[in-house]
Amino acid sequence: MEKKPPAETVDCRAASRLLSIAYERKLTAGESESLTYHLDRCLMCRNFDSQLKFLHRASEKFRTGNG
Amino acid sequence: MPPAPTISDPRFAQIEGHRPYLMRYALSQLRDGQLAEEAVQECLLAALEAIDGFGGRSTLRTWLTSILRFKVIDLQRRAMSERNQVELTDFAAEAGEEGWLDELFDDTGHWRQAPSAWSDPEAAFEQRRFWEAFQGCLDKLPPAAGRVFFKREIVGEETNVICKEEGITASNCWVILHRARLALRSCLEKNWFGKEAAR
Repeated sequence: MEKKPPAETVDCRAASRLLSIAYERKLTAGESESLTYHLDRCLMCRNFDSQLKFLHRASEKFRTGNG
Repeated sequence: MPPAPTISDPRFAQIEGHRPYLMRYALSQLRDGQLAEEAVQECLLAALEAIDGFGGRSTLRTWLTSILRFKVIDLQRRAMSERNQVELTDFAAEAGEEGWLDELFDDTGHWRQAPSAWSDPEAAFEQRRFWEAFQGCLDKLPPAAGRVFFKREIVGEETNVICKEEGITASNCWVILHRARLALRSCLEKNWFGKEAAR
């Protein structure tokens, strides 16, 4: 069954910002809900999400010189 | 002074290979090319003297960075007593308005250039040329963004510590980091993953 839309829906611009901010602080329940709803429907932002994870891993590798 | 290390010492080349990384680290902390150079120089000399004590429990880069950290703190103290604070930077220009986001997203908030799926991205870690591309992309970031990204993602400093050091608010810090990440992903997509697909 289709989930109920969150109180606040976000576009890609806002979703990408939340994805990035999630590396700095815990998202609020409302933010998480809006983000999940968007990601479920947006391949481009899911790609961006994967790319952020990749950047994070690459940075870690770069730090230890294990790259 | 210990005898100067010679170029023929293989350990010299091994340590020397980490110089560019160490220079990035020093620059992110000191913001002054000359001071950074000095810190790295002192670090490399100290490392050569102490290399026999390096047990290989961490990577060579991690070990070198721990030496450099002390040299940096040392130089920061010296610089503080010699002159006034390092000037605060370029942040207003880099973080202030968010007009730069308009280049990446259209009026309806959609990506202008859709991020694509990178296939098996971590295979890149094994390739020396990937790390050259990665560093090239770091170099293209605006100075403050590059410094904050380096401290946050590469050194792994806490966001609130970085904000304090840089004299900016947390939300400014997040905007700068977000911008750096967007720029890096776009640069890597253009210079690495795009080309990768074409090969």
